[in-house]
Amino acid sequence: MRRVESAGIVVAVIDGPCAGADLERALDADIRVAADSATFSADGVADVAACGRRLARLLGEARAKEIVLGRRTFDAATALRLGIVTRVVPQTAVAETTRALVDTLAALPPLALPAIREAVRAARELAPDAALALEHTHFRRLLATRDHKAAVEAFFERRPAVFTGE
Amino acid sequence: MGGNAQTRWWTDARVGYIVIDNPPMNVLSDENRRGIREALDEFRGNGVGAVVLTGAGDRAFCAGADLGEEKHLTDETVGTFLARGEQTFRIIRDYEVPVIGAINGWAMGGGLVLALWCDVRVGSTRARLGAVGVKVGLMASNVQLSRLFPEGRARDMLLTGRTVEAEDAYRLGLLSSVVAPERLMDEATAWARDMAGAPAPTVAAAKRAINLALEPEAAR
Repeated sequence: MRRVESAGIVVAVIDGPCAGADLERALDADIRVAADSATFSADGVADVAACGRRLARLLGEARAKEIVLGRRTFDAATALRLGIVTRVVPQTAVAETTRALVDTLAALPPLALPAIREAVRAARELAPDAALALEHTHFRRLLATRDHKAAVEAFFERRPAVFTGE
Repeated sequence: MGGNAQTRWWTDARVGYIVIDNPPMNVLSDENRRGIREALDEFRGNGVGAVVLTGAGDRAFCAGADLGEEKHLTDETVGTFLARGEQTFRIIRDYEVPVIGAINGWAMGGGLVLALWCDVRVGSTRARLGAVGVKVGLMASNVQLSRLFPEGRARDMLLTGRTVEAEDAYRLGLLSSVVAPERLMDEATAWARDMAGAPAPTVAAAKRAINLALEPEAAR
């Protein structure tokens, strides 16, 4: 398991056995990509309670208990089905997939990314109306950014946009 | 049966149909948002037990806000812009009978928001869904995606703006079924008839309970 960062977004790349501290670090990332040969297990995690909470949020209570209490090792296809990872590719395509993802993130307007991450977190922690109000606050702020205007201009001129983080 | 310049609606055997008709991409406008609201109001008096919402043509369900219109938004007008979108989305959510989104093509940005406020989504093989806001430095559908789906999937879609094709959307749970384009309205109608066949108060209570399931106790 390794973690790569692009535009402040953390991508976990899992291309072998992922257990214990590796699983904890993978779950802490924003996006998880796996090779079809990857395996996952909660065996050896340092903070079982935190790992259980994180999994319950990601997958629901039933799946979290199955993984943490059931102590099963499961494969990449299962991890994809459960929602632990969102992309599974052949082992040989891992490097290319990771590079493409890093490039995609780096090419996006940088101010929107941390705002989206915060809004996603808040969506689970706040009541729906408060979460929506927060989303709208971010939306108003982002709408006024130079990057948003540059993106719309580029869209109408059918060319790639250049962002400055302003 | 009714309509305006960008919306058509009719009823057939206790199912209400609404078509967003603003070619080529069926972007949202005051006209079609008003059409959706008027249609739902009219259905209320007609004993409709379920509603199917779709887009005209086979390119788009709804491509969201008109970027040309959005470009002119100012600090003062953005509040009204958000409120008008919100008003229609909430009417769908609070509507007593289920609303089925028949996703016939692109559902992106605000169009994805519209699709996600529907109670169930069925898609044609041409359906493509994307939380594309990030690509223009904005965000939309954060709250719905994060609450409807496992958080990891929501993050992947929202942070990359990736396009999710019909089969993938089915696997991820964004769509409840996928059929050939020519079968989409039959499929949506079958879901609608099933729902309309159950006692209306039971259906309304179930929809409301699920809508509020994640609200704090006091709000239920």
